[in-house]
Amino acid sequence: MLARLKSKWIYLPIAALLAFLILIPFEWFFAQYTTLMIFIGIYTIVTVGLCLLMGYTGQVSLGQAAFFGMGAYVSAILSKTYGLNPWLAMFVAAIMTGAFAYIIGYLIFRLKGNYLAMATLGLGLIMWILFRQLSQFTGGPDGMSGIPYLSIGGFVFDTSFRRYFLVWAFCLAVLLISQNIVRARTGRALRAIHGSEAAAESIGINVGRFKAKILALSAVYASLAGSLLVYNMTIVNPQAFDFLASVKLVVMAVIGGLASVWGAIFGAGTTRILSDEVLLRFGEWDVIVYGLILVLVMIFMPEGLFVKLKEVFQRLRFRYRQRGVAP
Amino acid sequence: MSGSVILETKGLTKAFGGLVAVDKVDLSIKAGKITAIIGPNGAGKTTLFNLIAGVFPVSGGEVYFQGKLLNKVPAHKRASLGIVRTFQHVYLFGNMTVLENVMSGRHPRSSYGFFEAALRLPKARREEEAISLNAIKYLNLVGLGTHAEHDALSLPLGQQKLLAVARAMATEPRLILLDEPGAGLNTSEKRQLSDLIRNIREMGISVVLVEHDMPLVMGLAEWVIVLDSGQKIAEGTAAQVQKDQKVIAAYLGEEVE
Repeated sequence: MLARLKSKWIYLPIAALLAFLILIPFEWFFAQYTTLMIFIGIYTIVTVGLCLLMGYTGQVSLGQAAFFGMGAYVSAILSKTYGLNPWLAMFVAAIMTGAFAYIIGYLIFRLKGNYLAMATLGLGLIMWILFRQLSQFTGGPDGMSGIPYLSIGGFVFDTSFRRYFLVWAFCLAVLLISQNIVRARTGRALRAIHGSEAAAESIGINVGRFKAKILALSAVYASLAGSLLVYNMTIVNPQAFDFLASVKLVVMAVIGGLASVWGAIFGAGTTRILSDEVLLRFGEWDVIVYGLILVLVMIFMPEGLFVKLKEVFQRLRFRYRQRGVAP
Repeated sequence: MSGSVILETKGLTKAFGGLVAVDKVDLSIKAGKITAIIGPNGAGKTTLFNLIAGVFPVSGGEVYFQGKLLNKVPAHKRASLGIVRTFQHVYLFGNMTVLENVMSGRHPRSSYGFFEAALRLPKARREEEAISLNAIKYLNLVGLGTHAEHDALSLPLGQQKLLAVARAMATEPRLILLDEPGAGLNTSEKRQLSDLIRNIREMGISVVLVEHDMPLVMGLAEWVIVLDSGQKIAEGTAAQVQKDQKVIAAYLGEEVE
């Protein structure tokens, strides 16, 4: 009874969010924010992967931009240089990145302890160097331009209005899939690993393999987002995938609430708005602001800003309702 | 073979560098019985447990479970074979509710993975329903049914230990290893625990416990194995062991130190 009541309430904010999202790109609503919202959608996809990896499984990746960049460059090269269908290129990129991440995870997780952070840090730096140095493939520091748009039949995603719906369709699908994974046997196994690896192992959870799988899934998300980024801008350059990009992604995950899939929208949103609208004025000092946010959130709200805000909201609603019921 | 043996070790040895924590131990654990492993501090009891559970590799000797050699079987596979353990420090999943902790214990008895979960395929829904029904069953077994929705770590220690047993039982073991289940419990909690352990034995499941609390051990165990300095020095019924000169010496030796 209580569960049914609760589950009905869960759909209300989601429906409101959906309605809001659908209306944004229309002229009479918030059309001026369409481009910003496209980026928020793309970054949300990466952030969801990090939430699963960091928030649920307790594994830190400091090189998620490597997977993000792999998706972007593989898509760009396959569809521009080799003329492959962009959808197919996107698919190939996701499979390649996922397999690559799985192999790395499989090797790292055979060691006990938190080596993933170090390994991904190194991976991020190596990939960034490769994006810049393999200039015959990647165009070097200048990157590539003239990458085709995605299209279905004759319908080309060449306006931001159209791309907005494409990106958010992907984004919501990823969110939904992730929520299903989290609320299932798989999600419990991931949280069990976070809770106690020894206990997780004792009840039959293959800790190493689950970690490798979730790393691979987060890499697939990052790769899809990278492909969408490329097909949205039709250009690609290595700047978007440097170390600071990985740090920003961690900030998004941390703000978004490491214990909630939907918080990823909030995390990606606030961080993008912050970096596009506010932190531009700080120039290169923006790194310090990101560092500060990270430290403050981790100290005062280890479950993430989103979860904290949700708690406050629930407490307010509870108090309001109590007042309403009082005789 | 007198009665059937569920777990057997032959010359089981574990050395950490120069320190031999478990030294050529031969064990033969009878099926369907409550067996206690006792011994003074540092006798190697917990190391022995970890070897049986597969936490680290053996330095020498063999472990057999229902006649099958376990040496090369990784820890996480032993649960589906039917061996499960609890921990001295409980190790509940603090990021879950009481019920979810027990549901986790159904992991080796269910099989759907990321793909089925992501798309909520019929297999996932069907198994998920069975998982929660079974979890409630095991939660009721330890008497925590009314606490299902609480955070696991909000329970007092006594109930946390019961919850850990429920989580372990949810894997449907043939053999359950309890590492100091009585530590930190008060008298009434200990009585509850003893009843639960007897209950588990009645279900046909073999129980092995490592325990410091002598009254608890003597009241429960049908067979007692005594370790000292990594070696088995005696075994028998509780009454026999209590009269054994070597056992008395081992415990007195400890007290003098």
